[in-house]
Amino acid sequence: MDPSLILQAIVSGVLASGLYALVSVGLALAIGVIGIVNFAHGEFFMIGAFLTYTLFVVFGIDPVLAVLFVAPALFLLGAVLYRSTIQHVLSAPELNQMLLTFGIGIVLQNLALLIWGGDPVSIAGIEYRSVGYRFAGISVGLVSLVSFAVSLALVIGLNLALTRTRLGRAMRAVAQNRTGAALVGLEVNRVYLVAFALSALLAGIGGVMIAVIQSPTPTIGLAFTLKAFSITVLAGLGNIRGILAASLVVALSESLVATLVPNGGTLSNAVFFAIIFLALVWRSRRTV
Amino acid sequence: MKLLRDLLPIAAFALFLWFLPDLLRAFAGRASVSYLSLVTNGVGLAILALSWDILARTGQLSLAHAAFYGTGAYVTAIMARHLDLPLWIGIPAGGLVAVILALGVGAVTLRLRGIYFAIATLAFTEVLKSVFRHLPTPFAGGAAGINVEPLFRPVFDAATMERWEIAFFRNEGYFLLYALLLIITILLSLITRRSRLRQAFTAIRTNEEVAAIMGVHPARMKLLAFALSSFAVGMLGAVHAHRVGSVVPEGSFSVETTVLALVTPIFGGLYTTLGPIVGAGMLAGIEETLKRNLADGYLIGYGVVLILSILFLPKGLVGTTRAWWRRRQSKSMDTAEEGSA
Repeated sequence: MDPSLILQAIVSGVLASGLYALVSVGLALAIGVIGIVNFAHGEFFMIGAFLTYTLFVVFGIDPVLAVLFVAPALFLLGAVLYRSTIQHVLSAPELNQMLLTFGIGIVLQNLALLIWGGDPVSIAGIEYRSVGYRFAGISVGLVSLVSFAVSLALVIGLNLALTRTRLGRAMRAVAQNRTGAALVGLEVNRVYLVAFALSALLAGIGGVMIAVIQSPTPTIGLAFTLKAFSITVLAGLGNIRGILAASLVVALSESLVATLVPNGGTLSNAVFFAIIFLALVWRSRRTV
Repeated sequence: MKLLRDLLPIAAFALFLWFLPDLLRAFAGRASVSYLSLVTNGVGLAILALSWDILARTGQLSLAHAAFYGTGAYVTAIMARHLDLPLWIGIPAGGLVAVILALGVGAVTLRLRGIYFAIATLAFTEVLKSVFRHLPTPFAGGAAGINVEPLFRPVFDAATMERWEIAFFRNEGYFLLYALLLIITILLSLITRRSRLRQAFTAIRTNEEVAAIMGVHPARMKLLAFALSSFAVGMLGAVHAHRVGSVVPEGSFSVETTVLALVTPIFGGLYTTLGPIVGAGMLAGIEETLKRNLADGYLIGYGVVLILSILFLPKGLVGTTRAWWRRRQSKSMDTAEEGSA
């Protein structure tokens, strides 16, 4: 096996981990603060991608500028969904909450299928999309590089915001003790709303990036929900700090399987799902 | 004794299903071909939903129903292709292999609960889909799948039949098979509802630790539920493969199947026998209407129904109606007592 091929796989894996971390950190926020495991999280990501595509095709807006529209749009979508649905099941059994978000996911995915059809869409004709650099036989795309940097900045920024800002501290207080937070005068419901909307916004920004990096279809959401979920499980449910390391593990293993295993491109998803399955089973055996 | 009381309505329902094709043919004529395939879809949905509900009664919310369905379909398709046996043998074989698979998955996921169980079963389905896609092509057809021979080949007889009646008789065959599977599923469901299994399942669902202390064996009960739940759906997958004439990895292990299997009982009424059947009847109608008007994305209807059910009908149609009926009865009893006092 050519060592530069392995090195290339490692570099690609590291770069991909940024996007995974960005999407997962949103899911971890919803789980950690509100206690909602959001099955529709990947759909926010998908909607972000397709809004970017539409803005580009219909209005000719560059994806870099599209972030300015997509991010608020997803924040709004998250807020509306929280107010209209999630808010009403906060004290319902966990399974009901899960099923509700599952239903939201189905609706969003099929709505996208109705609007954009089932074929992959691609943003063609932007110069920076094909810009790449080569060092020592390893090629790195400008877009992957920038998306990695931005994702990393956002994840670290969120971490800082949670410890340094008033709203961030409020979120952590609510996450630790809902009743206690309410007693000291925090508006719990408003904090939840912002946390959920923020989680959608983060996934949406990830979507902008994937629209430039790949050619997404409306059905990518579920796979990303599962990926984000396995990363958050690996990091410890609701633990935002461990997300970066967990994303690195997942993205690296995926990229290495795709490179090292023959026919790995189509198998990497299966390997990934096998890892989730085995990790969950192993975890359940170990704890008892 | 209780079981005996149930057998009467089931016998009546079976009789109704038995005569339904003839009724349709007598009243709708040529249009009965498409009516028959619509009610067949409805019966199939009821089997999916009711068999899923049997496992849900132990509190395990499975997203692996498509895995058992697809396994049944593939088993019958592979047998028809490679073995020189009568075609119908593939149907119980599909059910049995689905049960074996379910026991395997059930055994390793015993300790997973709630969301973890759901995610693990969904991931398992995706793995299985990929496994069937990557099996050697001469054996399992690869990504393109396998063509499956039809079970029924009515012979055209110009003297006594009209052209459309060939399609009718073919559909009638599948409809009666589906109906038989539904009756089997109803019986399996009633066994868990009318015996001590009901208390055992409910106890595990409510609190597994307490159930274990009270002498219920959670592992054994969950595996039993897995087996009962997967048998009928495995056979359904097998019959469906013959009905549509092919199996493909994407279609046989589709998330869609799982979505249908879980939305229907939630809408109709979880943990009941009647609920999933009533839900299937209504949803099959809604689905047909949506499919006529929307090309892709008809599943949006199921998503909306799921959201509305969780928000407004947490007990489902049957549960809500029963609660309302009980309230009414107790109210009228109260007023009767007040009147006599």
